[in-house]
Amino acid sequence: MKKSFAVFLKRNLAFANLAIVTNLEYRLNYFIDALVQPILTTGIEILLWIAVFKGAHSTTIAGFSENSYLSYALWSAFFSRIVTSWMYEFRMIEEVSSGTINSLIVRPMTFYEYYLSQLMGYKFVTTIISLTIPVIASFFFDLPTILSRLPLATLLAFYYLILVHTISFIISSMAFHFTKISSMTVAKNLFMWIMTGELFPLDILPPYWKTIIGGLPFASGVFVPVAYITGRVGIRTVYSGFISVTIGIIVLNIIGAYMWKKGIDSYVGTGA
Amino acid sequence: MIFTIKKYALLYAAMFKASFIADLEYRANFFSRIMTDVFWYVAQVLTFEVLYQHTEKIGDWNKYEMRVFLGLLFVIDAFYMIIIHENLENISEKVRKGDLDLLLAKPVNSQFMLTLQKANTAIFGNLLLGSGWLFYSLMHLPDFNYLRLLWLIILIPCSLCVVYSMRFMFSATAVIFTRSENLQFLWWQVYRLGMSPDSMYNPYIKYAILTVIPVGVIVSIPARALLNPPNLNYLLWPLILAPILIYGTHRFWNFALKFYSSASS
Repeated sequence: MKKSFAVFLKRNLAFANLAIVTNLEYRLNYFIDALVQPILTTGIEILLWIAVFKGAHSTTIAGFSENSYLSYALWSAFFSRIVTSWMYEFRMIEEVSSGTINSLIVRPMTFYEYYLSQLMGYKFVTTIISLTIPVIASFFFDLPTILSRLPLATLLAFYYLILVHTISFIISSMAFHFTKISSMTVAKNLFMWIMTGELFPLDILPPYWKTIIGGLPFASGVFVPVAYITGRVGIRTVYSGFISVTIGIIVLNIIGAYMWKKGIDSYVGTGA
Repeated sequence: MIFTIKKYALLYAAMFKASFIADLEYRANFFSRIMTDVFWYVAQVLTFEVLYQHTEKIGDWNKYEMRVFLGLLFVIDAFYMIIIHENLENISEKVRKGDLDLLLAKPVNSQFMLTLQKANTAIFGNLLLGSGWLFYSLMHLPDFNYLRLLWLIILIPCSLCVVYSMRFMFSATAVIFTRSENLQFLWWQVYRLGMSPDSMYNPYIKYAILTVIPVGVIVSIPARALLNPPNLNYLLWPLILAPILIYGTHRFWNFALKFYSSASS
């Protein structure tokens, strides 16, 4: 038992390492993903909030100051880069729909863990590089930030990544049955764009919607960790986030396992 | 000259027809595309509707004007998605797989082929949806003069030229760098600057997005043409800018091709 776990761990570390090496191979690509994109997003969001406060003629909106919103905009852009999966989901779908999955399913590992470890490895490096920007910017512009809360917030974001990966797994399982499934990835990511709190802090929503959207696990991707760092919510919300993500992971894994089994049963390897 | 235009028009008509037939093969795709973009429309509308709960104006736009702005954004984006998007999205893959060689070998302009080979007719539903939102927004404007819609006949093609030119330059970098997927995602961030009204930005940024990185021209100018009395200086700018940018893409494509080493050889 102990030995098999060691083998499992070693194998998955190798996958994570593979992802890091592969992505760092194209440094310009990586640099844009980890730094340039979130910096631009932050810039646009900050300009939007400055315009909103200018029009509102008020020092606070929903009880929070302009600086609080600027801090939220800064951190949310970087957290959303961490918790979004485009590249690996497209690759997973491509593996299934093109038939190259043949070479993976005969190996002593699961498709799920192979890509989860790669995703985690990639996001680990991205996190280290990306988060230096908001940390420095918070100091420089004196924005409301509680840096001691950063480790727990990052942990929640990484835990949420398992949920994100499970959704990717479900969508790639659908590729066994449907062609052109990649549009589902776009739809799903746009849906999560709304639900995670990347667009705006979820606490400015009308109370009814705030309760519903805040109770879903998606809020733990961006809103909960960023609101925790910027002092909008306390530790209880983070605990609730961990619980709702856990429930989400369990439910979605059951669905994913069922769909994968159905897909594999109907799959005919074409020798690709 | 006329013969050349006719040849390219016929070629485009044939490619459009072929695309439509190919799209009909995947009928469910018409619905999935609408569903996908509905989330995007909802995200845009929701963001501003929520913000307007807390403020009366963003920049110098009120809620009803912002709805018109978003309606125009949806319509222009739908046209772009139908005619151009899929082609430019695939340039990187064509370069890597060596498919670009086949286009370069054809007796037609390679930029024309690369840009217009495939129309995404599944987006027509989105165009209807976007137009519906635009008209709904216009109906809520007091005393709107519907004759102003005629401006769109000139300004929407200009907007498409601007958005095409900028997107093309991002996509064509794939020929230089071979792998530039994230540079394509970078385009999305630049495009987002134009997805908010120009007056939202400070004067320097506003000037930049109307001139140096002209994403502000794409929606803000047509929206102003609908909402405000015509300002000819403002309205002439897209007419001047569009041909300049199209020529710029032609030069940039020729420059990029110098870096191309066939992937299939």
